[in-house]
Amino acid sequence: MSFTDNYQEVSHHHDFDREAARKEVIRVTVILTVITIVELILGFVMMGVHNEFMRHVIKGAICVFMLAKAFYIVAYFMHLKHEVRNLIMTIVVPLGLFIWFIIAFLTDGNSYRNLKNKYDPYHYEQSQIKVEKPAKSDHGSHDAKKEGAIE
Amino acid sequence: MSHEASLHREVVTTHEVHHDEHHGHHHQETFITKYVFSQDHKMIAKQFLITGIIWAIIGGLFSVLFRLQLGYPDQSFPILEDILGSKWAAGGKIQPEFYYALVTMHGTVLVFFVLTAGLSGTFANLLIPLQVGARDMASPLMNMLSYWFFFIASIVMIASLFVQTGPASGGWTAYPPLSALGDASEGSKTGMDLWLVAMALFVVSQLLAGLNYISTILNLRTKGMAMTRLPLTIWALFFTAVLGVLSFPVLFSGFILLLFDRHAGTSFYLSDIFLASTQKALPNEGGSAILYQHLFWFLGHPEVYIILLPAMGMVSEILTTNARKPIFGYMAMVGSMFAIAILAFLVWAHHMFVTGMNPFLGSVFVLLTLLIAVPSAIKVFNWLTTLWRGNLRFTPGMLFAIGFVSFFISGGLTGIFVGNSTIDIHLHDTMFVIAHFHIVMGVASFFGMFAGVYHWFPKMYGRYMNNTLAYIHFWITLIGAYLIFWPMHYEGLAGMPRRYLDVSGWVSFNQFSGLNRFISIVSIIVFAVQLLFVFNFFYSIFKGRRVRTQNPWGSNTLEWTTPINPGHGNWEGEIPEVHRWAYDYGKDGRDFIPQTEPVGKNESSH
Amino acid sequence: MSHAVPADQKWWSGGKSPFNVEYGKVMMWYFLMSDAFTFGAFLISYGTIRFASNGWPDPNEVFQSFPGLGSGLPLAFVSLMTFILIISSVTMVLAVQAGHAMDKKAVVRNLIWTIIGGIAFLSCQAWEWTHLYHEGAWWGSNPFTNMDGTKASTNFTNFFFTITGFHGFHVFSGVIINIIMLIMTLNNVFERKGHYLMIEKAGLYWHFVDLVWVFVFTCFYLI
Repeated sequence: MSFTDNYQEVSHHHDFDREAARKEVIRVTVILTVITIVELILGFVMMGVHNEFMRHVIKGAICVFMLAKAFYIVAYFMHLKHEVRNLIMTIVVPLGLFIWFIIAFLTDGNSYRNLKNKYDPYHYEQSQIKVEKPAKSDHGSHDAKKEGAIE
Repeated sequence: MSHEASLHREVVTTHEVHHDEHHGHHHQETFITKYVFSQDHKMIAKQFLITGIIWAIIGGLFSVLFRLQLGYPDQSFPILEDILGSKWAAGGKIQPEFYYALVTMHGTVLVFFVLTAGLSGTFANLLIPLQVGARDMASPLMNMLSYWFFFIASIVMIASLFVQTGPASGGWTAYPPLSALGDASEGSKTGMDLWLVAMALFVVSQLLAGLNYISTILNLRTKGMAMTRLPLTIWALFFTAVLGVLSFPVLFSGFILLLFDRHAGTSFYLSDIFLASTQKALPNEGGSAILYQHLFWFLGHPEVYIILLPAMGMVSEILTTNARKPIFGYMAMVGSMFAIAILAFLVWAHHMFVTGMNPFLGSVFVLLTLLIAVPSAIKVFNWLTTLWRGNLRFTPGMLFAIGFVSFFISGGLTGIFVGNSTIDIHLHDTMFVIAHFHIVMGVASFFGMFAGVYHWFPKMYGRYMNNTLAYIHFWITLIGAYLIFWPMHYEGLAGMPRRYLDVSGWVSFNQFSGLNRFISIVSIIVFAVQLLFVFNFFYSIFKGRRVRTQNPWGSNTLEWTTPINPGHGNWEGEIPEVHRWAYDYGKDGRDFIPQTEPVGKNESSH
Repeated sequence: MSHAVPADQKWWSGGKSPFNVEYGKVMMWYFLMSDAFTFGAFLISYGTIRFASNGWPDPNEVFQSFPGLGSGLPLAFVSLMTFILIISSVTMVLAVQAGHAMDKKAVVRNLIWTIIGGIAFLSCQAWEWTHLYHEGAWWGSNPFTNMDGTKASTNFTNFFFTITGFHGFHVFSGVIINIIMLIMTLNNVFERKGHYLMIEKAGLYWHFVDLVWVFVFTCFYLI
């Protein structure tokens, strides 16, 4: 037996402004498209940039645009902006945990590389050797495959 | 947004409308729908509890077996060979592989299957709808599925005990590369796969349950039950559910990557490995075993509080009820639980100080870890002040609640030791750590669970448990647990390692052989007394003294306004409305004032 | 009383949802929160391993083929995939809005477009996976070198196939959910219920899939 079938938690009134909502969707679609195009342009620009610092700047910019896109999708498509403030807070606040999640993990990943390069000089030397680019044919081989890989 | 208002739908929760219809018709319940595939939260709670008890017996038995080995490393017990066969106990001696399997499964079973599913599964299911004033969980179907996913996980985990190569044996944390390479050990073969499958099913069960708990607490509170009037049990279970919903998925991801490492030739966690058993260097390169540890402990640390918070909540409730005094510092209790819930997510790497993690990052984790002492201390002082000059009734539930506070203090203090990375360099992987977390998380949570079972047994089965057996159970468990774990601190400070099946090879640890034997004897006695509890539990279900009054403990909370044996739907007639917080004990000359009683005109404020 | 009176008495005093939504939507939101942590953990693991490596392949060298146009076209195919997913998200919003207005015909039309978008995305992904497989890339096998020409570990492809696979699985289940919604709509289930709230929840899930792609797209193809 179920009690929830009987719950009438929500009652509608259907007089919401469909036209305005549709306009908002179009506006957000345009914004998302423009941001994506800008991201792609940045991606193309980055191919020509070889300065490490500039590449990081561009990557940072792309990440900012990524967050902007995420904001528009969550706020408008997922409708969060129009929900009650408390609901917004319960969604947004826990996402703050990602800050320390990301910082700690990436810091430790970076430190892992540095420690390994320092205490395992052989590993470091090996990772600096350039290899011949294997000729990539379309019937490219799975010879290069590691042992134990899935077929 | 001009149309913002119009996008809001008017929402009305009308519990009452449906409830009145509900009682108009009778539901036909068969044995299957009532006891097996039940959607009644109370029955699901009992299912979780009884499954948890079975698991606890199995997990406890494992510890008795490896304590035999630790206490009597040079004796043989031929009966073990008769029971376990010659592979695991050749000549009556526990074989190394089997010892590691025992330790691993003891940890897995107790942490996940008993103290997570058995504890919060039982009491969240039982208490959330009853104490917030709801007919059932938000989604009774998902609630039922949650139990059955747990059940399937249990079956898979049990099955792993019987495969030829034995169950997982790389420790309950399942660190790679040991867990990632089938050739590395017996337990890393099929047993490890089944372990991962069982744990994945377990995560699904926890998510189904947690989402249900959260939305029930938020959406289905009865009229007048503001969040600030919720009993502390509900607050604790709420934070528990939040912790589970946000941290179990991370473990899930970590397990998926581990499965790929095991079976798809990936190297997420693997690099630079030479396997002694096959005399081969592995091609895997570029992975990091520390990554797995981060992912595991991102769940693993919140998990500690998933285990502890429900016990804290129930203890708060039981202490105040049986001290006949309002809880001291209600908002401080809620605030400190909130702080604990947040900090639980920020401190995971204190489990990894010596595994190769960046030491400077470690120092940040030390700082965050020590911060937990603040909310923990607030809670301890609030419990003590609640007891202070109270009119104490030493029911079995109350005794166990006080025992919980005692263990939480003694185990918590040693947390300050191991939370410091410098001291941890000396103490890590010693018996000191075993002592610390068994007292603060294992025994303390068990005491919270026992307190809850004794206190709410009348609500669950309409009968009381036997008091004499309960008092015997309490005193022997309390004294026994201290006798088992207190000496381990000394062993650990002296450097005696954990996870070793025989330390008699070191002269420096020979001084502990008598102590180890003593610990083993006490742990067998304590285990036997737990069987007494199990007997008491099942005997009382059928033969216990009947509950004659609706509110046997004189308690304020809503569950005692239901009939003695509530049906599915909990209340006959309307759900009561709530007018006050849950802690008006000993106020204005009255022993207690239930939450359902409107605030009187001349009532004093407090 | 010693405890504070809630400031927002109206929402939190019990007897109704404090968020003005039914429990199913609350559950869906928190489920998506937890799923965000699943994907978050995957992507953060990817970042951690990348930070722990001395080199990493250049996505523009890896993803540079377009069906029918050959290779040498970095970012082209993935742009198409991204736009397909964005457009299918838009049609999903329109379906949800049509549901608000109880406009069954528009719901059906937009759901069909959403399903088509989802299937198109999955087809693109299938093509890309096949193409990469033929180039020798798979779990445990990476034919590409690092950007600086040094030998790469297999973790680039390991993470790529795992994470896009997991995302693709979500798209797949989203398509299934949408098909179920379509059938229910055609059978007038929602008309009879008097509301299209189920579609709203399916919509949340679908947008979340789009949202995850924003991150996957950035992490694997752009930076």
